[in-house]
Amino acid sequence: MALLKLKNLSVNYGAIQAVRGLDLEVHSGEVVTLIGANGAGKSTALRAISRLLKVREGSIYFEGREITAQAPDAVVRMGIAQSPEGRQVLARQSVLDNLELGAFVRKDRAGIKSDIAKMFQLFPRLEERKDQSAGTLSGGEQQMLAIARAMMSRPKLLMLDEPSLGLAPLIIREIFSIIRNLNAEGTTILLVEQNARLAMQHSHRTYVLEAGQITFTGPSQELLSDERVLHAYLGG
Amino acid sequence: MDAVQFLQNFLNGISIGSVYAIFALGYTLVFSILGIINFAHGAIFTLGAYLTYSLAVGQFGIGGLLADLQLPFQFSFTISLFIGAILSGMAGVLVERCAFRPLRTRGADPLLALVSSLGVALVTVNLLQYLVGSEIYSFPSDVYGDIRPAFLLHIGEKLVVVRTVQIIIFAVSMVVLALLGYLIGWTRIGKALRAVAENASTASLLGINVDRFILYTFFLSGFLGGMAGSLVGTSFGIAGPYFGVSYGLKGLAVIVMGGLGSIPGAVLGGMVIGLAEAFVPSEYSAYKEAVAFAFLFAVLLIRPQGLLGSSQIQKV
Repeated sequence: MALLKLKNLSVNYGAIQAVRGLDLEVHSGEVVTLIGANGAGKSTALRAISRLLKVREGSIYFEGREITAQAPDAVVRMGIAQSPEGRQVLARQSVLDNLELGAFVRKDRAGIKSDIAKMFQLFPRLEERKDQSAGTLSGGEQQMLAIARAMMSRPKLLMLDEPSLGLAPLIIREIFSIIRNLNAEGTTILLVEQNARLAMQHSHRTYVLEAGQITFTGPSQELLSDERVLHAYLGG
Repeated sequence: MDAVQFLQNFLNGISIGSVYAIFALGYTLVFSILGIINFAHGAIFTLGAYLTYSLAVGQFGIGGLLADLQLPFQFSFTISLFIGAILSGMAGVLVERCAFRPLRTRGADPLLALVSSLGVALVTVNLLQYLVGSEIYSFPSDVYGDIRPAFLLHIGEKLVVVRTVQIIIFAVSMVVLALLGYLIGWTRIGKALRAVAENASTASLLGINVDRFILYTFFLSGFLGGMAGSLVGTSFGIAGPYFGVSYGLKGLAVIVMGGLGSIPGAVLGGMVIGLAEAFVPSEYSAYKEAVAFAFLFAVLLIRPQGLLGSSQIQKV
C-alpha cells in the first residue's frame, strides 16, 4: 500500500487550474521527487496535500485513508509535514520557539526535548543560534530550520518544497546530504525541486510535471539518462 | 503648574491610561491576527460594563424592557468584574462567528469585515438601549465593600487626592497586563497565537488550528474590552448605551499612536493618551479628547508607524 496516493487530482490556484488529473504514489521509505518548470504546479500539489488549497477533483489518500477533505492541522497530526517554499520560518520568534512550534501537535514533552537535541546534532548551526530570532538567520540556516521544524512533528511523510532555492552550492550540498540522512533514518520524503539533476540524484523515483500533468515518471536513475528528460529539464 | 499639581495629574493619567491600555490591547490582538480593526470592540466595552453592573447590583436595569428586573443572585464586585469579562469574551466569540468568519471563509475583502463589525456594534448598542434604556447607570458608592473612597496625600499645604477606584483600576489593569504578557510571551498557546499572527498558512502547516486560535483571540479581546468597560464604568458611571463609542475611538487613537499590531505599543499608547488627557487643565476638560487626538497627530508627523510600530520589512 502506498503511503501517499494522489488519484486524478485537480487543484486550482486562483482562477488557474494548476494541477490537472495528477496520479502519484509515494511508498514508505522512498524519496520521490517532483520536478518541472516554474509554474508547472509542483507547489500547488504540495499545498493541496497539506490541505491549504481546495481540491477541485480527485482524491488524496494517506496510509489508505482518504484525507481529501481534512483540515490542515489534521493532516499534520496524521503524519504529513511540509517545509514550504521560501522557508517561511517565523521570523519574529526564536529558533528554539520555531522548533517547539514544529512539535505543536505533540504532547510528549520529554520526546520533544530529545528531538530538539537531535535536531541540534543534525544542524549544529541552529544550536549556536537557538535564542536568535529566526529572521536574523542566513538563507541556508533558515532552510535548515524549516526542515528541522517540519521534522519536529515526527512525520511519516516529509514534503520539501524547493529546499535549494536561492542557496549557495556548498549549502545546497549540505542540505541534500541531510535529506539523504533523514531518509536513511526512515523518513519518507516527497521533494519538489527546480534543480532537477540534483533532486534526481538524491531520489528513488521521479515524476516530471508539465502544465499540471505528469509527462514522465520512473526510477530517477533511468530518467537521468533519458534523452527527452535530459533535453527538456537537465539542460542536455 | 506646581509639582503637587503635576503629581496629581500624573496619578490621574496613569490610572485612566492603564485601562486605555488593556482596552486597546483588545483591538491589537484582533488586528495582529486578522489585520482588521474590530469596530464592535467599543460595543463590547459597553456590554461588559452593563454586565458587571447587573451582577454586582443584582438588578438589570433602571429603564428599558428589563427595568427593575431583579437577579436572583448578587456577587461581590471582584467576581462580577470577572464574570462580566468572561461573558464579554463570549460576546467577542459571537462577533467573530457572526461578523468575521462567514466573510473570511468566502475570501471577502477585509474592508467588508470592517463594515460588518460596525454593523454588529450598532445592533449591540441598539439592543442594549432596548433592554436597559438610556439612563446613566452609576455603580453604588459601596460597590467595593467597606473601603474608604479616597486617599489623601498632604504635601506641605497642598493636597493630592487619589480615589480608591483609581487605585483599583490601575491595579486590575496591571494584573491583567502581566497575565496577558505571560500568556502571549511564554506559553505554548501564546507562541501559537504569535505564529498565527505572523503567518497563518505557515501556522496551519505546523498543525495549528487557525480558526480555533482566531476564536481564542476574539475571546481575549472581548474579555479585555468588557473588563475595561467595567472599570471605566465604576469610575465614571455608564453614560448610556453609547458610552463605548467615544472610548472606541480613543482606543483606535491609542493603537495608532503605539503602532498598529504592537502589544507594547498599545500599552505605551494608552499611557500617553491617558496622561495627555490628565494634563488638560480642568477649565478645558470639554476638549480633552481633542487634545488626545492632537497629540496623536503630532506623534504621527514624527513617527508615522507609531511610537513602537515597526515599518514592515519582509525577508524572503
